[in-house]
Amino acid sequence: MITLPTIRAKARTVLLGLAFGVSVVVAFGYHLLAWSAGKPPDDLFGVFFHLVLLVGYTSLWVIAVEHGERNRHAAARTFWGLAVFAVGAIVATVLLLLVARPTEAPEGIDPTLLLGFDLESGVPIVMASVFKMNSLALVKGMFAILLLSRLRTLVLVKRTRLSQRNWNLMLGLMGASSLATAFTPAGTDLNEWQTIVMIAAFVMMVVNSFRLSWIVSLSFRQKMMAAGMSLLLLIALSAGIGVAEDTLIARSVSPGVQAYIEHFSYPLSMFSGQAVMFGILYCATTILSLLFHLPTTSDFQQRAGERAAMHSLAHQVGDVFVAARLHEAISRSPVDAGCAHAAWLALSDPGAASLRPRIVEAVNIDRLRIEEILDLEALYDELQDKKKPFVLEQALADRRIRALPADGIGSLVAAPLLARDRVIGALFATKNVAMGFERDEVETIALLAAQAALAIENSRLFEQQVERERLARELSIAREVQRRLLPQSAPQLHGLAVAASSVSAQEVGGDYYDFVRLDEDRMGLIVADVSGKGTSAAFYMAEMQGIFQSASRLTTSPIDFLSHANVAIADSLERNVFITCVYGVIDVRNETFVLARAGHCPAATVHLTGGASYLRSGGMGLGLDRTDLFRKSLSESVVRLQPGDVIALYTDGVVESRNGTQEEFGYDRLLSVLAENRHEDAFEIHDAVIRALASFIGDKEYDDDMTLLILKWHGIGASGPMISTRVGIS
Amino acid sequence: MSNFSVGFRSSGTVQILDLRGELDAHTAAELEAAIQKCQRDQTYRLLVNGSNLAYISSAGLGVFMAFIEDFRDRGGDIKIAALQPKVFNVFDLLGFPMLFDIVPTEGDAIMKFETIAR
Repeated sequence: MITLPTIRAKARTVLLGLAFGVSVVVAFGYHLLAWSAGKPPDDLFGVFFHLVLLVGYTSLWVIAVEHGERNRHAAARTFWGLAVFAVGAIVATVLLLLVARPTEAPEGIDPTLLLGFDLESGVPIVMASVFKMNSLALVKGMFAILLLSRLRTLVLVKRTRLSQRNWNLMLGLMGASSLATAFTPAGTDLNEWQTIVMIAAFVMMVVNSFRLSWIVSLSFRQKMMAAGMSLLLLIALSAGIGVAEDTLIARSVSPGVQAYIEHFSYPLSMFSGQAVMFGILYCATTILSLLFHLPTTSDFQQRAGERAAMHSLAHQVGDVFVAARLHEAISRSPVDAGCAHAAWLALSDPGAASLRPRIVEAVNIDRLRIEEILDLEALYDELQDKKKPFVLEQALADRRIRALPADGIGSLVAAPLLARDRVIGALFATKNVAMGFERDEVETIALLAAQAALAIENSRLFEQQVERERLARELSIAREVQRRLLPQSAPQLHGLAVAASSVSAQEVGGDYYDFVRLDEDRMGLIVADVSGKGTSAAFYMAEMQGIFQSASRLTTSPIDFLSHANVAIADSLERNVFITCVYGVIDVRNETFVLARAGHCPAATVHLTGGASYLRSGGMGLGLDRTDLFRKSLSESVVRLQPGDVIALYTDGVVESRNGTQEEFGYDRLLSVLAENRHEDAFEIHDAVIRALASFIGDKEYDDDMTLLILKWHGIGASGPMISTRVGIS
Repeated sequence: MSNFSVGFRSSGTVQILDLRGELDAHTAAELEAAIQKCQRDQTYRLLVNGSNLAYISSAGLGVFMAFIEDFRDRGGDIKIAALQPKVFNVFDLLGFPMLFDIVPTEGDAIMKFETIAR
């Protein structure tokens, strides 16, 4: 895909390439000028020429570095590529030297004629020399840049700020020592300053040539390959266009090439020479280092295996949906890490009461066979005691293992899977030789077991979480269902105000209240409380709703209603569950409220005058007795309503709510709050009680279901139906 | 964490359970276990001493309901003695005095057991 940044990068590369091209043309022109003039151009031209060269080769360097960064290859391939280019450069050089070579010089002829330029001034004598100088310098310069840029990718593997600085310092010194020769005539020796810089550059070359971090991660084969390729490059460099200009080999391959390049540009010659020198150094250290590293390769590879095994296990931690896959990954990990020949995983079932371990997965060994030959529980017990891994160096000699030599269990490591200081399983690893485990291998297996414990615990927690969320969803549905069982409104009776609410301590509760219109003037109402809390209570609450809806239509007598209800519900209640309730019938024509109490908290009545009391008629809870005794225990209270009367029905959650010091809200406090607010309407009284409760219990949470129903009688003469119908659950 | 405990004593053939602390939905299981132990030991004359029982919830009351029939069927009883007034009020509101023998002191209960025994 072509995006703006890539276009910009391409344009940059093209510009840099153009700059290099221009420098090549300018260099050609410069030497052409010298040839036609027959003398070296002015110093001003010289400065210009070297500046252009500097810009040109810097541009080429930037291109090469960017290309190298984009196309990183394995070391062997890098060396191979460089060697190919080196050979190519040698071939090109030889061809260039052969082409346009002056015919053999007769005896006694000045050898300068052979080279084609004046050795003193470097001025080309023949046109062919201009061409040769430029071409040879171009080949060597380009090769030097390529060599450095490719070696750079190797030197800067696992780069640190220091290594980066060393590399840049080397380049800087190489550049500096080369530029220092800009005005030195070709072929002359270096002066002392130039020598010092040169030596400094050489020191940095040595330093950089020991940056060989890439070697460690290579396999045996890759190391062999890299060694071979770097040897190839080493030969190409030192034999060909190398610094060893004066050696026999160099002279036979490329006679006089150095002289051409020096006369083209002394700095370029210096720089490319140093680049080749660094290449030779780097190849030499590479070969030596590779040779030294070969024997330890397998150890390094085990480390890499351990890392990979650890990585794969860590990856499984996130992928916990399939327990079997996790178990397999765990069992496989010691084998993958190269620490064991076979391994298996045993887990104790968290659901089962006994903590008996079970082998869930085995790798490189038959699971049934292990179960047969291993006293798993005895080994597991030892792990539970020690909570540390242990090694059986001579596994066959251990009484807990009844293996044959053919089973391949020579030595065994057992590592516990610890989660929150509990042993939840064990990872076993074996080698087929006795005394097979080194200490670091045991540590690795212990580490793998620790990872495994984390993964398994994670997956279990995840499963629990999923289950919890499912339950929460179910409960929120149940809560919604229960909310619908409570009345959405109260029947409207002339002169009567009603306010009611219910709070569950948990998602669902056992409290219930409801209303039923019996006729134009009468309404039945109930407040009930199932013993216990939560789901089971909620089921009985639902049953109670059904009983209320049906039985309330059969009778207008509270005692009859409760007797019906007791018969209806007693059989379905568990022995230790009962329901308390209060049922009342309010008659607005006769201004009476008749109620009966089945073990429930007594209703509170408050008169306008301030007189307040509880209506504590007899009566046992529903479900406590299945005989006539229940009916006999009941008695009715009859309240003759007077305008301003307040009646409060509630569940024990109200009076038994406790504050931080475990003090109960209590009956007295409830009565006094009701009395204080008796002039208010049902709403306000209801809210006053809830507020008083909230401020009483403070920060504590409600720990019981709580229902409150307030009736306020305004009298028959009261204008309009003063009905508040605010009822609800919260 | 649980602030409820059951102590075991016996007086003659009567097994006495001393309840201490608060008996609610969370601690009811402890009382249940204690009474089940009596069932296993086949001591069906059970006296529950509530002098140190500070609180009882409906779930706690349910425990007594769960066992009373079985104990009576086997010729024994669960008698409740020495309840604090507040706790007695809870028993009373629910109509327990009609179902259970709730007496003021431990001595009264033991005497009643012995009277029946003779």
